[in-house]
Amino acid sequence: MSNVPTHWYNIAVDLPKPLPPPMDPYDGESRIGLLNRIMPSELLHQEFTSLMYVPIPDEVREIYVRLGRPTPLRRARGLERLIGNGVKVYYKFEGALPGGSHKLNTAVPQVYYAFKDGAKEVATETGAGQWGLAVSIAAALIGIRAVVFMTKSSYLSKRQRVMFMRTYGATVYPSPSEVTKYGVEAIKANPNHPGSLGLAISEAIDYVLQGEGRKYIPGSVLEFVLMHQTVIGQEAISQIPEEPDLVVGCVGGGSNFAGLTYPFIGAKLRGEGFEGTRFLAVESKAAPKLTQGRYEYDFPDSGGLLPMIRMLTLGHDYVPPPSHAAGLRYHGAAPSLSLLVKEGIVETRAYTQEEALEAGVLFARSEGIIPAPESSHAIRAVIDEAKKMPKGSVILFNLSGHGLLDPDAYERVNAP
Amino acid sequence: MGISRPALGLYLTATYPSTRRFLEVLDKVRDAEVDFLEVGIPTRNPKYDGPVIRMAHRGAELMGLDAVKAVDDYSKYSRVPVLMGYVSDYLNSLNDVAKVAKDVGAATVLFPDLIFDYPELIGKYVEVMRSNGLALSFFISSKTPYRLIRSLSELKPLFIYLGLYAATGIKLPIYIEQNVATIRGIVGDSFLVVGFAINSPDMVRSLIKAGADGVVVGSAFIQRISDLNDALSFLKWLRGGLHE
Ligand SMILES: Cc1ncc(COP(=O)(O)O)c(C=O)c1O
Repeated sequence: MSNVPTHWYNIAVDLPKPLPPPMDPYDGESRIGLLNRIMPSELLHQEFTSLMYVPIPDEVREIYVRLGRPTPLRRARGLERLIGNGVKVYYKFEGALPGGSHKLNTAVPQVYYAFKDGAKEVATETGAGQWGLAVSIAAALIGIRAVVFMTKSSYLSKRQRVMFMRTYGATVYPSPSEVTKYGVEAIKANPNHPGSLGLAISEAIDYVLQGEGRKYIPGSVLEFVLMHQTVIGQEAISQIPEEPDLVVGCVGGGSNFAGLTYPFIGAKLRGEGFEGTRFLAVESKAAPKLTQGRYEYDFPDSGGLLPMIRMLTLGHDYVPPPSHAAGLRYHGAAPSLSLLVKEGIVETRAYTQEEALEAGVLFARSEGIIPAPESSHAIRAVIDEAKKMPKGSVILFNLSGHGLLDPDAYERVNAP
Repeated sequence: MGISRPALGLYLTATYPSTRRFLEVLDKVRDAEVDFLEVGIPTRNPKYDGPVIRMAHRGAELMGLDAVKAVDDYSKYSRVPVLMGYVSDYLNSLNDVAKVAKDVGAATVLFPDLIFDYPELIGKYVEVMRSNGLALSFFISSKTPYRLIRSLSELKPLFIYLGLYAATGIKLPIYIEQNVATIRGIVGDSFLVVGFAINSPDMVRSLIKAGADGVVVGSAFIQRISDLNDALSFLKWLRGGLHE
């Protein structure tokens, strides 16, 4: 227990510029006011906290330990040999958690706070199903019900994750679904709608508003989600034997990237180390907000039920093309990450899923782990960057998940 | 010039609900002896305001600086009058706002969106305020970077205003006293004003105890503005929270 962090790190108070506050649109009811009804109260406090370090409740830390924190930090010697120029590569293996991804780091506290508020049920969105699976596990352990709206393209292609969510006792709907008005409208507009994370969020919130004892919990983008993930980077700092020259992560909404990098970036911003370290955020060309988005106030969900936040965005009604890296199919990036990109502190890169999966295969064959298609985007960037770096350079990346439940992705790239 | 500690401030949107009524309210406010008065410059884009104050912006009889000029000298009504506007409306005319502020007897102009949406204009703001003989004031949120708060404090503003919630008038389950205490530790001896959704003397008391020097009431007063006696006794009731 002693080597699991005692606090989450809030980067907002170290940023070079202030985070613009969330804002209500000029029409309709106050979305900010609506947060009171839909979200666990402690999470709202955390979203607006002025503390640099927020204490992790003992109950949550205990579950972190039971589920396998701290996760391993490993040297990718096989991948290093493959790259072959003497660059060293380390990775933090979040796929070692039972859900197979980093998502449990925030699912546990979020479900815990919902339970503390007396909720009987939590509702959420999921893309690839990693988040939905993590929420299902947390809800099972804490003893409340989970309801998951899963983007339809992945609901159909990732049947095992749906099955395992149900194994943990969750209810899973494909989104667009028939159970909310946002789903019904989307189906009416396009019977073959592949779903989007933005739409699934609106459905989950609408579901929460339809009944008592329900709370909505988000899988990414909001600042408290990123903050919960900082256990990854805090552990990594104490585990890694040398200072990295480059830290890499993939970005859907920004949570695993922030989780690994923010403790490093914070130290750099405070002048407490990592002066020479670069940070690289890797996205999917299916949802290229970091490289092509606009920095403006936009809704985090396509229905516009949440307050607007200032972020790099492709527009809340953007429906990314179906992709096997479904966790990266999101129109925006968390406000703090967007700001760090704007300020030039975080570099960005976009890859196609083919480019990413090719790297995923190389990693599987050199390290023995099938990476999640999302994480494969980070691996692709690691390989490309390593080739340009001098011998002895050190790279750290987040292996945010394993890909054992993503056969749809690997089926396509397997050589005969 | 300074504001007395602990202080109660009142926010009003200029010329809401009408110019005549606004003047009537000011007359009464003089007797209520608020320690400082914030006069909102009516705008079409009150970004950080909640429903009540947004309505006041929409319902003001005059817009922009014309509304402010409905009164020739605000210092008749309060020891420390302050103008409050969104800098996004005055990107090319900061000096005009400062001039009007000086003319109507205001001590400073507070722009809540300055550090968030136009941090590159902070230097210009400081220069314009100073060259017009006005004091500085800054609006921050609970998540404003510590380093920025420290550098704003070093500019010796008349006050630093901490918005307690995400928008005026809308409460959220936020540990506001914890946030005030944290920010208190960072602003040093700057005068720390807090506001947004303040509506009871208990709330005033606990915010002062947490380290605020002054509190501002806006939405809760404006909601009662149709019954002036009610609004004024509400103000008096709130004032009770200033002292133990
Ligand atoms: C394994 C994995 N990595 C990354 C992501 C992307 O999300 P985020 O940017 O919030 O980490 C997901 C999202 O589902 C995921 O499942």
